[in-house]
Amino acid sequence: MEALDIAPPRMAVLYGVVLLPWLLLGLTGLRLSRAIVVGILRMSLQLALVGVYLKTLFTLNNPWLNGLWILVMLVVADWAILTRAGLNRRYFFAATFAAVAGSVLFSTAYLLLLVIRPPLYYDARYLIPLAGMILGNCLQGNVIGLERFYDALRKNENEYLTYLLLGATRWEAVLPYFREAVKAAINPTLAGMATLGLVSLPGMMTGQILGGSEPWLAVKYQIAIMLCIFASTVLASILNLVLSVNIAFNEFDVLKEDVVERG
Amino acid sequence: MPSVGSRPREFDGRPAEAALIRFDRVSVSVRGKSILADVSFVVKAGEKAVFRGKSGSGKSTVLKTLLGLYPLAAGRILFEDESLDPPTVQSVRRRAAYIGQEPVLGAETVREALMLPFRFKTHRDNKPSECRLIDALEHLHLSPDILDRECRLVSGGEKQRIAIARALLLGKSLYLLDEVTSALDAESKQAVLDMFADPAFTVLSVAHDPDWVARCDIVLELEGGRLTRIHRNGSA
Repeated sequence: MEALDIAPPRMAVLYGVVLLPWLLLGLTGLRLSRAIVVGILRMSLQLALVGVYLKTLFTLNNPWLNGLWILVMLVVADWAILTRAGLNRRYFFAATFAAVAGSVLFSTAYLLLLVIRPPLYYDARYLIPLAGMILGNCLQGNVIGLERFYDALRKNENEYLTYLLLGATRWEAVLPYFREAVKAAINPTLAGMATLGLVSLPGMMTGQILGGSEPWLAVKYQIAIMLCIFASTVLASILNLVLSVNIAFNEFDVLKEDVVERG
Repeated sequence: MPSVGSRPREFDGRPAEAALIRFDRVSVSVRGKSILADVSFVVKAGEKAVFRGKSGSGKSTVLKTLLGLYPLAAGRILFEDESLDPPTVQSVRRRAAYIGQEPVLGAETVREALMLPFRFKTHRDNKPSECRLIDALEHLHLSPDILDRECRLVSGGEKQRIAIARALLLGKSLYLLDEVTSALDAESKQAVLDMFADPAFTVLSVAHDPDWVARCDIVLELEGGRLTRIHRNGSA
């Protein structure tokens, strides 16, 4: 059993569902009309492109091509993390790439090689969507962690310097902000796990059920992906912060002026 | 010198007449803006120096530059004849206490604030006894009752004296004081003035208080980041 197809005319009907909210938002004077249209068009175009390249990747199923696609996803994620966290890419690009790539590849490899064990370990049907889901969630955690850490350091500059003058090493002095940042990075994933299935059916599970999978199989995959998302988010957030602390300060343990790009 | 802390180490094997701090044509710029320009002075061990000048004249910058918080655009700073490289900055920070107008206590209660540095590896084996805590507080005219008070409930002047007490417990010998007497009542101010009169302490300060200025050995006037006058009290 497969999911029912949505024919093009009914796809057009689908866009009607946003018409009423769009009109209502227009009446509130929020001036979001243009942003909404652009957002919906971008989303549609991006997903259409995803459809095209996934179809190609699945057809060719070439390990090098699959690897190249994972690399592209990691570079784009790295760029997005630093832009959204407001950090200078010149300093952090390599460190964030290493932290995120290491954590995501570890979790994906663990899931594929030890748990799911597909006949081809590089099978695009498994590798690309699983790595993509893990990476997407890991990205959110890293943005929150980095943003929270550097924001706290800048806002509490005097406190940080006081710790240094009281004999703290750089690591001892940043530890309170580090702990808070890791907590903030992990919290959404933790909260998501705690309410999963009660508040909403998760996307992957819904997709599998619509695709014809047995609910139990869908549940097992959902548990697998949640555990891997949690592992990669924790690993990447901690590793990213640790690596960044070795980059963001000058030789006198003072935060470099230009590490944070926005005020 | 009170018995509350370890004995300051400033004079260990060092002639009293030698320069402890030497600024040699120091210039500092922050985000392209000149904050200090061509500043030169010498402070010997045990001396008290005070910087005076209008707001924005660079007084606090002098203190913070010595702590390695601003990179030098030109000139050099020597501490015990050593250029201010990272190991020397660590040495300065080990000896120095910076007390500002609103010091950060970094803890919930006053007791935790006093004990804060002893959580760090470098001081972990030197935790002070209750007697030493009380001794340090009383030396600055603070009642032992304050130990269990929440830091958010203590006044600005009390915070300053708690921060000084904490520095005493660490055996600090170099005090960088930024308008430290401004929030103190007459009695507390006298206690602080008397304490820093001890020749074991070297003091670089920013102050306008005439009592404090009168007690300092060197008075340095800053204007627009430049030293306009250096006056030694007691000299002609």
